[in-house]
Amino acid sequence: MSKKKQYDERVLAMTRQQHLTHYVLRTRFRRYGAVSYIGHLDLMNLFGRTVRKTGLPILYSQGFNPRPEMVFALPLGVGINSEGDYVDISMSVKVEPEEFIEKMTPLLPDGLEIVSVVYKDEPKNSLMSVVTHAEYALEAPGITDCIKKIMTMDVIEVEKKAKGKIVTNDIRPQILKFIEEQSTADRACLMVMAGSSSNLRPESILQACVRYAGLEQVHADNAGVTRLCLYGGEYPNTKLIEDFV
Amino acid sequence: MRTHKEVVIPHSVLMSVQSPGRYVGGEVNRIIKENIVKALEDTGFTSAVRIAFCFPDVYEIGMSNLAMQILYKVFNEPEWCSCERSFSPWPDMDKAMRDNNIPLYTLETKSPLNEFDVVCFSIGYEMAYTNVLQMLDLGGIPLRAAERSDDDPVIVCGGPVAYNIEPMADFFDAVFMGEGEEVDLELAYEIKKYKENNKKDRQALLRRLAQIPGVYVPALYKDEYDENGRFLSLKPIEEGIPEVITKRIITDLDNVPYPTEPVVPNMTTVHNRAYIELFRGCIRGCRFCQAGYIYRPVREKSAQVLCDNGIAIEKSTGYDELGMLSLSTSDYTGLAELTDGLLNAYEGHHTSLSLPSLRIDNFAMELMKKISSTRKSGITFAPEAGTQRLRDVINKGITEEDILKSIRLVFEGGWSTIKLYFMLGLPTETMDDVKGIADLAIKIEDLYYEIAREKDIKVRRPEITISTSLFIPKPFTAFQWEAQDSIESLGEKQRYLKSLIQKHRSINYNWHGFETSVWEAVLARADRRLAPVILEGYKKGCIFDAWDDMFKYETWLQELDACGLTVDQFIGAIDVDAPLAWDHINIGVTRKFLALERKRAYEEKVTPNCREKCAGCGAACFKTGVCYE
Ligand code: SF4
Repeated sequence: MSKKKQYDERVLAMTRQQHLTHYVLRTRFRRYGAVSYIGHLDLMNLFGRTVRKTGLPILYSQGFNPRPEMVFALPLGVGINSEGDYVDISMSVKVEPEEFIEKMTPLLPDGLEIVSVVYKDEPKNSLMSVVTHAEYALEAPGITDCIKKIMTMDVIEVEKKAKGKIVTNDIRPQILKFIEEQSTADRACLMVMAGSSSNLRPESILQACVRYAGLEQVHADNAGVTRLCLYGGEYPNTKLIEDFV
Repeated sequence: MRTHKEVVIPHSVLMSVQSPGRYVGGEVNRIIKENIVKALEDTGFTSAVRIAFCFPDVYEIGMSNLAMQILYKVFNEPEWCSCERSFSPWPDMDKAMRDNNIPLYTLETKSPLNEFDVVCFSIGYEMAYTNVLQMLDLGGIPLRAAERSDDDPVIVCGGPVAYNIEPMADFFDAVFMGEGEEVDLELAYEIKKYKENNKKDRQALLRRLAQIPGVYVPALYKDEYDENGRFLSLKPIEEGIPEVITKRIITDLDNVPYPTEPVVPNMTTVHNRAYIELFRGCIRGCRFCQAGYIYRPVREKSAQVLCDNGIAIEKSTGYDELGMLSLSTSDYTGLAELTDGLLNAYEGHHTSLSLPSLRIDNFAMELMKKISSTRKSGITFAPEAGTQRLRDVINKGITEEDILKSIRLVFEGGWSTIKLYFMLGLPTETMDDVKGIADLAIKIEDLYYEIAREKDIKVRRPEITISTSLFIPKPFTAFQWEAQDSIESLGEKQRYLKSLIQKHRSINYNWHGFETSVWEAVLARADRRLAPVILEGYKKGCIFDAWDDMFKYETWLQELDACGLTVDQFIGAIDVDAPLAWDHINIGVTRKFLALERKRAYEEKVTPNCREKCAGCGAACFKTGVCYE
């Protein structure tokens, strides 16, 4: 019997028994170029279609409208590139990370790449709840000076639309660290709070640079934003997402 | 000389518009022929034919269009031809592009439209006409065919509107009549030879194109009118140009290329599913329905080929839904075999089938229980008219008994959401017919409670929605000579219908605005005199006319008036013997047959469908399909 057939039979047997063990592939991916301009829902659907195309024994959600079981670590905004985002993809039987990478890679569109995959046996915490911090690289002329300048302030107020109203927020506590060694004059890397409890959007940092540090609006509009990596745990003892169970 | 210069779209522009994913390409299964672009960059020449395939509406809608996916594959098949896609930019992007001097480009190689040899539009509906002008304009191409030079691309179009393209005749160099799979490549090949010859003579090229069967070159014909402004004739301006252009059709659908590896948008689109095409044409012959006549005769694909298509396309796209396209799914003779085959092949994949326009009978009910996707949306019926008399007039071959029997099955099967589609303003319609719509809906409501009582099931409130669209007299139908109902009369009918169902809380009523339908009727039946009106309307800011909130009726009336034309001129009744602006096109179905069907309509006589008894419509001239079953 072919390997594919074996899988199919096992999947069928599993679904018939309503066995719902999650054999999770924690997948780190990067995104750049055209595919960066789609929304989070689009990206989820795109991953869903690609996983389906591999023919691997995916675990489907229950209910009327079964979909591949996937959990993304943190939504990636429209226009933002990434070097280190994560998605947990559930299989109904154990699948080796190597096989998963091999099958997925040729099927993804240009600009979406799998960096690494680790196998997780039934993770205890939802991937979303693990994320606490993110590193971003912001690219614009003179951006590093701007970032250094706003980081000397005690309070950095920016405006944000929330439920149709404009609210003012102090984002200073959410900016944790400027990462000197990875930055240049026109590329600033920094670590900020991210995730479900406190999340700083890179647009807010750019807005602050325009407001308080003289960054030109056109440069802010044209700024390249890359999410470099996501982390979990308490600052400064943050750990890589792969290290969480 | 053609060159290649990639259009750069700044990040800030993309970030300033809604859904920037529309404008960047990069999809799975797209085709990029880099060698052709490279040859152009290196040597300034390629004999390969570069085609920009344009869809005059937003990306999401265009990408759900099967014709586009089919022709994209066809054009990209030979190595001497490449086809890239372009769509209408939404007004926000339209403005951003004009402000930043960004020309309209194709998604594959980001080449501006004016760099191509051919710009080919696929037009599905008349209301997209202004978007054609928008795309040409943004693409840096002169709008009027007469203003184009040897260096400009050849602008062509196809699609159902091509059968009366006269209102747009000024803007196209050539028009495809009928199905494009073969004729499109014949045209491309002609262009290839022209390029190899390297003698620039656009006029000679257009004359050569006019010799390809199924290709219409508007500039080679001249229109005439009488002193009362009535259309008289459209004739070739010189010898050797065909007086009549006969549509092209594909004889054997099983052997024509089908896009089993369609381009899959990265962003989520309207339908978000893959498609297979069951058959072309319709056996029924509803007298108002243009599609029912222009696609004749019915030609089916075999269930085996369709099943293979369905399996291949699920693999290549990853979609979890497969749509079955045709004008009436239930008329497909291999439906049981096909659905069994697919359900088998998809077992354990969680892939559902969507079967639109399925006539509800026991077979359909069983099928719907097996597939999940119908539950979401409720069940749709299209009686089109409220009384048997009027249904006979339009040749809708169903009775009230049929409808109620089907709906009984639906309610018994546990569904409680029903959508009913009707048309207002049909020829011979009276207030009794309008009342018939309400009566039918009320009977359906009663039926629900009756069944609930019988079966002792928990009574929910059923949800019955009546939708009415307005009758539009379209060319190449039995009703092509009819007047469109007046706005006053239609308003009265709508109010009356509303008043009749007011007390019934489970019946909702949706209607469509009159004005867009009036304008659609004008565009559908007008002649060449409309072209300057469309041009001026576009210049005054009319685009995306198909989108209700963007449609500017007042502007259109003003422009019409400025050109000395009136709405009534185009939507009023036409004498059955009078010449028609589309008489130079032959769709197989004869004018004589359409006139006979009109007569039978007034006599309230039903014409049997193609499988019951051939009515001799004329489409047998194509020597294929249902006429020879
Ligand atoms: S010729 Fe007869 S069978 Fe053929 S399409 Fe016309 S009516 Fe139908």
